[in-house]
Amino acid sequence: MPTVTIDEKPYRADVGETILEVAQRNGIWIPTLCHHQALEPYAACRICVVEIDRGGWWQVVTSCNYPIRRALTVRVNSERAIRARRGVMELLLARCPESPQLRRLANRMGVEGTPYPHIAAAQENCILCNLCVRVCSERIGASAISMVGRGGDRTVATPFRMSSEDCIGCGACAAVCPVGTIDLIFHEDEVEISPFETRVTLRRCAECGRPVGSELVNEVLASRGGPTLVEMLAGDAYCLRCKRKKLAERLTAAVPGNGSGRAAQERSLPGGTNVQTGLHAGNPRSIRVGEAG
Amino acid sequence: MSTVATGLKTANDLEQYRRHLLGERDPRAHRVRVCVGTGCTAKGAKGVLELFNRTAEEAANDGVIVETKCTGCHGFCERGPIVVVDPGNIFYHGVKREDVPEIWRESLTGGRIVERLLYKDETTGQVAKTPDEIPFYKAQHRIVLAYNGVIDPTKIEEYVAVGGYAALAKVLTSMEPKEVIDEITNSGLRGRGGGGFLTGRKWRSARDAQSEPRYVIANGDEGDPGAFMDRSLMEGAPHSVIEGMIIGAYAIDSSQGFVYVRNEYPLAVQHLSTAIAQARELGLLGYDILGSGFDFDIRINRGSGAFVCGESTALMASLEGRVGEPRAKYIHTVESGLHEKPSLLNNVETWANVPQIILKGADWFASLGTEKSKGTKVFSLVGKVKNTGLVEVPMGMTLRQIIYDIGGGIRDDKAFKAVQTGGPSGGCIPARYLDEQVDFDRLTELGSMMGSGGMIVMDEDTCIVNFAKYFVGFLKDESCGKCTPCREGIAQMLHILEGIAKGEGKDGDIERLEQLGTLMEDTALCALGKTAANPVLSTIRYFRAEYEEHIREKRCPAKECPGLFNYEINRDVCTGCGLCAKKCPVEAITGERKKPHAIDQQKCTNCGTCFDACPFSAVVKV
Repeated sequence: MPTVTIDEKPYRADVGETILEVAQRNGIWIPTLCHHQALEPYAACRICVVEIDRGGWWQVVTSCNYPIRRALTVRVNSERAIRARRGVMELLLARCPESPQLRRLANRMGVEGTPYPHIAAAQENCILCNLCVRVCSERIGASAISMVGRGGDRTVATPFRMSSEDCIGCGACAAVCPVGTIDLIFHEDEVEISPFETRVTLRRCAECGRPVGSELVNEVLASRGGPTLVEMLAGDAYCLRCKRKKLAERLTAAVPGNGSGRAAQERSLPGGTNVQTGLHAGNPRSIRVGEAG
Repeated sequence: MSTVATGLKTANDLEQYRRHLLGERDPRAHRVRVCVGTGCTAKGAKGVLELFNRTAEEAANDGVIVETKCTGCHGFCERGPIVVVDPGNIFYHGVKREDVPEIWRESLTGGRIVERLLYKDETTGQVAKTPDEIPFYKAQHRIVLAYNGVIDPTKIEEYVAVGGYAALAKVLTSMEPKEVIDEITNSGLRGRGGGGFLTGRKWRSARDAQSEPRYVIANGDEGDPGAFMDRSLMEGAPHSVIEGMIIGAYAIDSSQGFVYVRNEYPLAVQHLSTAIAQARELGLLGYDILGSGFDFDIRINRGSGAFVCGESTALMASLEGRVGEPRAKYIHTVESGLHEKPSLLNNVETWANVPQIILKGADWFASLGTEKSKGTKVFSLVGKVKNTGLVEVPMGMTLRQIIYDIGGGIRDDKAFKAVQTGGPSGGCIPARYLDEQVDFDRLTELGSMMGSGGMIVMDEDTCIVNFAKYFVGFLKDESCGKCTPCREGIAQMLHILEGIAKGEGKDGDIERLEQLGTLMEDTALCALGKTAANPVLSTIRYFRAEYEEHIREKRCPAKECPGLFNYEINRDVCTGCGLCAKKCPVEAITGERKKPHAIDQQKCTNCGTCFDACPFSAVVKV
């Protein structure tokens, strides 16, 4: 088990782990933007650079993908590493001056502003971290978007910049976007993934009318043999909040001595309801109700 | 014509075949060699060859036998089309179709010399009959270019006849893979593509890599502006590259090779394809090569012209059919490259050196060059130099020798200003280092690099800011855009440089450029981004005063940056023809007919139309 020395303190690490993983496990903060633990490292934003000892000279490397193979000495907070990370942040701020998320990270890194003008015109407010593209292909398996163009013209886009037939409207791209550029816009019966102008049919809560999710996600999940969105949401078309409300009502009614006519009715349902715990975990699966319900 | 053999079973078969080919040759044969490299072809060599062919056919009916032959690039592209007549190795340049009958009559059949088509030295006035008498060739030492201009690249027999594939036979019959690697290591050969990594060490790492299969790759994605040595090699001596690759494959135990060549090199693709097919037919590629039990084959992959695909990891991504973008090399490609398998990638020129090292020995190769840079290097000498073209010289030759002795000095006898080596990733070297030796380490010390061997000469009229701007602009277009420092950094650099060139430079711009350069060098993902600032940093290092002149005095001393100089009409020269006034798009020029005209500086937009239009050079830049 190699020892990784970070800023003069030794830490245990496994072979194959990245510097970032070791740092994060030990509470050492290194800023990241294009990194997500659910995805393969990409090392494009360069905001996570640190210095490593190459025996006689120090090399600046990206911590998110530098694999540990043997004992390694790392400087996260050396002058050069900090200057490098701040320099990258300044370039990104020039590209995306509007993003509050990016400004927050910049503040945390001690970067007040940028000396560079805003000259990038290709895609507003996007740092081209590629997280959306990667989550779409690596995790969702849809590959509805990709990087288009080269260099300064590089943008994230759907094929031919038209509404993509491959997009299932899951919104994973919006969820991983670190600068808040991708949005889900809910229309009457469609959800639009902005800025890709892709629209898919929207499922709304049968009770309150809130958006539940994309109809296509339901179909894709079904085709993959897993639980569908509807099943995840407890077998009917209610949104999470309404589902909870309903469940709470049933539970309240089911408590003995709390007897109203409705509770008695609930109790007498054949087979009863097999309610799983973990109601507050925020995971849709955790409120899944068994088949008997 | 010789008969084409098929399926050579042993090394002995190959030797027999070579003897047979040599036996068929008439040393006294009348032969005309026409260069059909891309440069000469562009100047009409195909038409010349066709006319020679037709004349030869007609003459054959009368019993006059003259062999016509197309060859690869001679390197002296400046003077193309080049035609060489044997016997005598008589070198004619600038040959046009109209000259063919005279060459035929006088030289090929008459045994005389067509003096007007010979090379004549501008300064000494001396006439050269053979290439060896031409200063451009005299100082060169041709190892990898040895076959260029000599053999027909589309015929494997020609390559075999001059000793081709003998190195392969030697390796397969008498050398263990380890010995081959030792030989390459001992020769001191370093990668010709840019980095200058020790080739033998790379081979050993690939051999030692645990995983299988292993791949062998030739990088023919030459993309530096003004560089064309790899193209000329692939066009003119494709078998040298192929033979090198087979030897490399044997050394690291690989059975599949790839040549990655840009599609903008159609002739290279064509000649390589022909060469591979011929090598297969002869049994030099495929199963059980020369009865050794060793299998290897090569396929060609065409790149679609992304500069970044010359970077090894981007090249491999492209080979896999993915977008050609680089990835981190924290795990080297010799361990995990193409399809995450050990991959041995060398530049085309590196591969072409291999057969020679095997044949002549590591000691011979190591005897050429400097202490840490062995052998020769092919440079494409371009820019404001008299003799542009491909030159191959031993490492350690001085810049002065290359530019003045071989290149013939600066065009129009102007003053030398700087030379850019190593392409867009390289840097500028000023006049005071003209006597420095050219090798990997010295060029790096000077803030430039060997790169793939581009050499762009600048004269006193070249604006250094404009020059840096050109390369940064090139790199901006060619950056893949994956990583922040390269994509954003280059764009910001160009923005600053454009400002300086427009007269909008401000104090602190130079320092900002330097900061950006350091940032990119530290944090960019691949070598393209890491070295992208070199043209800027090296020009600031050597020509800081010129940058400052642009910024503070808003003056471009070379008068290349529009806006930092004015156009005026020299009253003493102007004849009052009125052409400039007629062409001026903003009607800024006025004057009576046959009397000197004048430019209204308030109206002038510095477009330069009058400067180009004036037949008397009366319009001057001030």
